[in-house]
Amino acid sequence: MTAALDVQHLSKSYGRKNAVKDVSFQIQEGEIFGLMGMNGAGKTTILRMLATLLRPDSGDALIAGHSIAKHPEEVRACISYLPDEAGAYKTMTGRNYLAFIAGLYFRSEQEQKECVALGEEICGLGEALSQKINTYSRGMTRKLVLARTVMTKPKLAILDEPTSGLDVLNSLDIRRTIRKCAEEYGTAFLLSSHHMQEVFTTADRGAIMKDGEFLAEGTPQELLEKYGAETLEEAFEKAVKAS
Amino acid sequence: MKNLLKKELSELLNQQMLLGLLVSFILIVLLGFVMTSTVSESMETSGEVHIIDLDQTAFTEQITEHLEKQGYIVETVSENAENPAYEKILAEQNWKEAVVLPAGLMDQLFFQHESCELDTITVLETTSTMVMMQADNSSAELVRDAIAVLLSRNLLGESMTFLENPVTLTSYTVANGKTVQANAFSLVSSMAMFDQLMPLILFMLIILTSQTIITAIGSEKTDKTLETLLSSPVPRSMIIGAKMLSALIVALIYAAVYGIGFATSLLFTVDRTAENMNIGSAFSEILATQQATEALGLQMTPIGWIGVIVQLLLTLGIALTASTILGGLVEDVKGSQTASLPIVILTMFPYILSMMTDIRNMELPVRMLLYCIPFTHTFIATGCLRFGQTSVFLAGMVYQAIFLAGVIFCALKLYQSDLLFVHSLGRKNKNT
Repeated sequence: MTAALDVQHLSKSYGRKNAVKDVSFQIQEGEIFGLMGMNGAGKTTILRMLATLLRPDSGDALIAGHSIAKHPEEVRACISYLPDEAGAYKTMTGRNYLAFIAGLYFRSEQEQKECVALGEEICGLGEALSQKINTYSRGMTRKLVLARTVMTKPKLAILDEPTSGLDVLNSLDIRRTIRKCAEEYGTAFLLSSHHMQEVFTTADRGAIMKDGEFLAEGTPQELLEKYGAETLEEAFEKAVKAS
Repeated sequence: MKNLLKKELSELLNQQMLLGLLVSFILIVLLGFVMTSTVSESMETSGEVHIIDLDQTAFTEQITEHLEKQGYIVETVSENAENPAYEKILAEQNWKEAVVLPAGLMDQLFFQHESCELDTITVLETTSTMVMMQADNSSAELVRDAIAVLLSRNLLGESMTFLENPVTLTSYTVANGKTVQANAFSLVSSMAMFDQLMPLILFMLIILTSQTIITAIGSEKTDKTLETLLSSPVPRSMIIGAKMLSALIVALIYAAVYGIGFATSLLFTVDRTAENMNIGSAFSEILATQQATEALGLQMTPIGWIGVIVQLLLTLGIALTASTILGGLVEDVKGSQTASLPIVILTMFPYILSMMTDIRNMELPVRMLLYCIPFTHTFIATGCLRFGQTSVFLAGMVYQAIFLAGVIFCALKLYQSDLLFVHSLGRKNKNT
């Protein structure tokens, strides 16, 4: 079976700074993988390379069998990317925004309608979808952009800090949505986060990053056992200090 | 593409922009009204002669009669005081200027045969040169001419009236190797309406659309919507194309509104000015100027107009594409505020020079330097076509087309590269 994502020795540097060093990992269909690390660890660079916004210096990644280095156009049809703190077009209504995104991914009107209907269901914003996005709260905007990310049923959804800046209830909603989409549509998720608890409760597997490298990789339970820790925060601290 | 274009247009054509456009239109038309009333007022006052008569003789009466026969409205205040308070008289009469006929004028001219001095008085209320030019002391000049005529009639007799106008001037204009009996200034005035209006509108369009597109891209960077768009399965050329096309549509809307606004304003001014003049003579003057323009080959042909429009579109295309590049390099919407500066400078430089001097006849090194700026060619386009420099015009058009292809290539390369997210104007992207 082809992995949803197969990262092979990916590296990227900005001038003299090595942002990502020889990183390799795989994500299977319907699996949620979390990247944990401090600011500047290289998480966003990995996500941007996989979203075909940055070109890798060396190595490659196959998304549903398509190379990000050689065939970025094919890759874009299989992925959906949600940047950190991403907003939406404020002059559009929520529904129009979903329709606009659906138009980017599907040509037939029927497919676009089904996609928008799914987006409406996932975001759960109801009547508010008829309002302009500039009237939305931060939580509402986040739910809308998450819905647009997953409504196209991509092979791989790439989420950068999906719950940053959100309150507990909105964060819980977002996590449940991610879990549900992974199970129901078989979408593979790659998400980055500072919050270990988020990764622990949402992801099937994860990796701890520092200075562009993977320090450890595995299920939350495997990471706890590896570092003899009771929480992921503790495991993270031990991993970072030991490196 | 339709989906993207619709989105871009909905972003640009918002209520704020439409309101701004409406306000601009009203302001331009209002400007025409204000200018018209100023012109009318100036024309009205130019027909008035204000005299402070300290002589009060038959000769000063002759002066008044002579001027009135010529169609001027003469207002006279007779004073007996030797040194009257001029400021008081002008304030009472609400005059902006006047000429004083001194006591003993007739005696000095007719019996002592000596020239005499006339005092002219002007009210100073502003530092505006335009207003002061209107208030220039025309009464004094008219009175001086009247004195000269009347003096020659009285002293030399009616048979010597040719002395009033011993020489008449006939103007000839040479252009494009042809000579025509016409006043060069009148010809320039008749052509200036379009030749100066078009560069002004073009200048405003370039500045406006550049800022619009850079700000739009800057906002997309701030909201991270650009990353969403560029990671979607839509060709990047289409994303850039939609952005540029929408900005071009908005630019053309602006061009239409400004064009209609200025044309309405100008037509109104011309109409009112003709009303104040003798319609027949104004019409024949316009017709004569038009015939002279045609005889000299200075008129624009339909193909010439098409060429100018093509150059205009090429210029806008270059400005839009260059703005797309600058927008791609800004960090966020804040950075976009100053990013249009290179385009502003490169537009302002040839625009101001084209208003002040003839770029086509400048020193070769300076001319070549200006020709390197692609916008220059559109500012001098009508001049080239009117004065037979078709090769300069065509070379400019080809240069613009090549330049446009170059900037489009650079824009496509930029939007397919890391530079969009790794580097920005001023600093490196810190996000890792």
